[in-house]
Amino acid sequence: MSGVGSPPGEQVERQGAATTPRGLLELSGLTRRYGSIAALDDLSFAVPAGQVVGFLGPNGAGKTTTMRAIFGLTDLDAGQVRWNGVAVAQAERRRFGYMPEERGLYPGMLVGEQVEYLARLHGLSAVAAATATKLWLERLGVADRIASKVDVLSHGNQQRVQLAAALVHEPELIVLDEPLSGLDPTGIDDIGAVLVEQARAGCCVLFSSHQLDLVEDLCESVTIIDHGRLVVTGRVDELATSGPRRLVVRVEGDRDATWARDLAGVTVSEVGGSAVRLILEESVDSDTVLRAAMLAGRVTQFSFERRRLSEVFREALA
Amino acid sequence: MNTPEVILVVVAALVVVRVWRRKQGRATGTLTRSEPRRSLLEAAFGDVGLVARREVRERIRGRIFQIGTVIILLVVAAAIVIPVLHKTKAHHPRVGIVGALSTPVRATLDATAASIATTATLVTEPNQTRADADLRAGHLDLVVIDGRQLQVNKAIADSDTSTTAQFVRAVSRALGAEQAYQEAGLSTTQAGIVARAKPLPVTSLHPASAKGTVRTTSLISSILIFVMLSQYNTWTLTGVVEEKASRVVEVLLAAVRPIHLLAGKVLGIGLVAFTQAAIIVTFALGLAKVAGSDLLHGTAPLTLVAALVWLVLGYAFYCWVFAAAGSTAERQEQVQTLAFPLTLPLILGYIVSITAATSGNASTFFKVLAYLPPTAPFAMTVLVDLGKATWWQFGASAAISILATIAVARFASTIYRRAILRTGHRVRLREVLSLKTALRSRRSETSG
Repeated sequence: MSGVGSPPGEQVERQGAATTPRGLLELSGLTRRYGSIAALDDLSFAVPAGQVVGFLGPNGAGKTTTMRAIFGLTDLDAGQVRWNGVAVAQAERRRFGYMPEERGLYPGMLVGEQVEYLARLHGLSAVAAATATKLWLERLGVADRIASKVDVLSHGNQQRVQLAAALVHEPELIVLDEPLSGLDPTGIDDIGAVLVEQARAGCCVLFSSHQLDLVEDLCESVTIIDHGRLVVTGRVDELATSGPRRLVVRVEGDRDATWARDLAGVTVSEVGGSAVRLILEESVDSDTVLRAAMLAGRVTQFSFERRRLSEVFREALA
Repeated sequence: MNTPEVILVVVAALVVVRVWRRKQGRATGTLTRSEPRRSLLEAAFGDVGLVARREVRERIRGRIFQIGTVIILLVVAAAIVIPVLHKTKAHHPRVGIVGALSTPVRATLDATAASIATTATLVTEPNQTRADADLRAGHLDLVVIDGRQLQVNKAIADSDTSTTAQFVRAVSRALGAEQAYQEAGLSTTQAGIVARAKPLPVTSLHPASAKGTVRTTSLISSILIFVMLSQYNTWTLTGVVEEKASRVVEVLLAAVRPIHLLAGKVLGIGLVAFTQAAIIVTFALGLAKVAGSDLLHGTAPLTLVAALVWLVLGYAFYCWVFAAAGSTAERQEQVQTLAFPLTLPLILGYIVSITAATSGNASTFFKVLAYLPPTAPFAMTVLVDLGKATWWQFGASAAISILATIAVARFASTIYRRAILRTGHRVRLREVLSLKTALRSRRSETSG
């Protein structure tokens, strides 16, 4: 398998400027019910171009249903999907790329012909489809499997081919359902790099994952849903720094952080080793906490901490 | 410049332009959604053509198609050539003559051979010992001794229907009669009159029930139609199930409309089926001409053409039903369960047509089946072979089939559209038909 090389964009002329955001995806009031169960419940959010947006939620939250709705693959009881302010129809969908959770490839078809076929269905000419197929398979490190059948490829290589199929027509919006599941670290790095690169080139990238650390590394923004409803949406940096301040304090010889438990407006969230993680209410002065810690012993660490995305996720769903 | 030169110049110019444009395309590698050059299918049908082209390529490339075509061609070749060889070998019994052979007896031998549509070769033997030796060696079929005694190498059983057996029996009867005429003192002229006696015609108050002959072309056509409709419709079903089970349908439907995907699939598989059938029929007619088979006589060529027409109409009728059934499946293992009930009308049509072709008769029930789209491909083809279908009856049946196909296609495509994306369990027909949400088109919901 060859490594990740230069992007096809260097050789294949893109539609539009390379770094100009190409659109805005808006989901408005999406509602889908299966009997008494609401898969989507008046769900609304937007996905701006030029960013990698993580789409998060527990199992059954409605992520896949939302993604299918973008491509018209599920009937909606209400709501609308818009692209650049225009209701999405077949013509718009042709400019989108989709990688479903359960991989969608013909098992017995040759890799190259399969990617080329999907490129043709998205409107590329025969020559452009053949050129783009070769470039993307090379870019994703599976060029040597162009004449292999899909069902003889490893899981990781099938993922790469699936991604090539989603990207081959240079889509303006890329929607990927669990693109990183089951991949080894190299595969995650390669695919992650491609997603970031696409966003930098002006694409709109939305992908779902349960690997929150990876999402935090890759995404500028996240949207979290639960029970088909929007819970949180925003930039990762803002979410990590929003809410109450978080302190990590390490006091020599202190094991149970009793000094912090009586402080007004301070909650002990975690005690591990000689370090304690504290959550401070708005009114609490951090100097007060420092003084209390110094009274308890020699302070070796006193620092503010960002919220991890996993904490944002848990708190949002709590 | 005369006409051939003009044509050459135009072709050369086209080739140069084509090569230049290809080089330009490769050099720039530009992504473009325009389509300067398209295959015939793509140009004529757009997305449907693209889907159909993939189907054609994948199916023709498959071993099932390649090996199946070779096997069918071998079977057809055997069905044409073996009867011709058998018929050729059965002619010309050789008759050894021992002793004198009177002119009337010689005339009787020739007339007898002619009566069973063959010719006999008379071989004069020097004596009976030599004649017996030739009989044992298989050089002779029969020895006539002094015009009064017949000898064969091996006794002929009553059940033997070979040309030689028929000839020996006929000679035995004819020479026996000839001997009786001589004993009765009839002159040669009188004996000739008696020998040429014809039975009196018998009239009846009611016509006898007709008993036709076996229609080989009908048999071949019925088998061809049954095998091909079963095979290609099952391909449609398994193709739809494969796309649904592998979830590739989600990727496809993100780019094309369900009706285009479905139409492309049935068009592609249908083209493969028709191409294979055309190859087989052309091969059969060509081989029949070369081999001198009866297949080119009477209504046989017309029957083969009718079989081709009805193969197309039959496939067009059934393919939608099989595709809709495939869209309700969840796994490949359900293919057999889904295919069986859909194959029953095919089996019914096949059995009744084989029965009619074998007996050479068409009952009223059979004639009715010729106007019902599920069984018409079989029954109408046999009626053509039997000479019991006029052109307007053929046309009426075809029109009924086309109208029924349009109705079935509309119904089946609705089922397909509603069921193809429903996963998790096998979709029941009642469930699909009662879907209120299905009536809301995706266009109005997500496209405004």
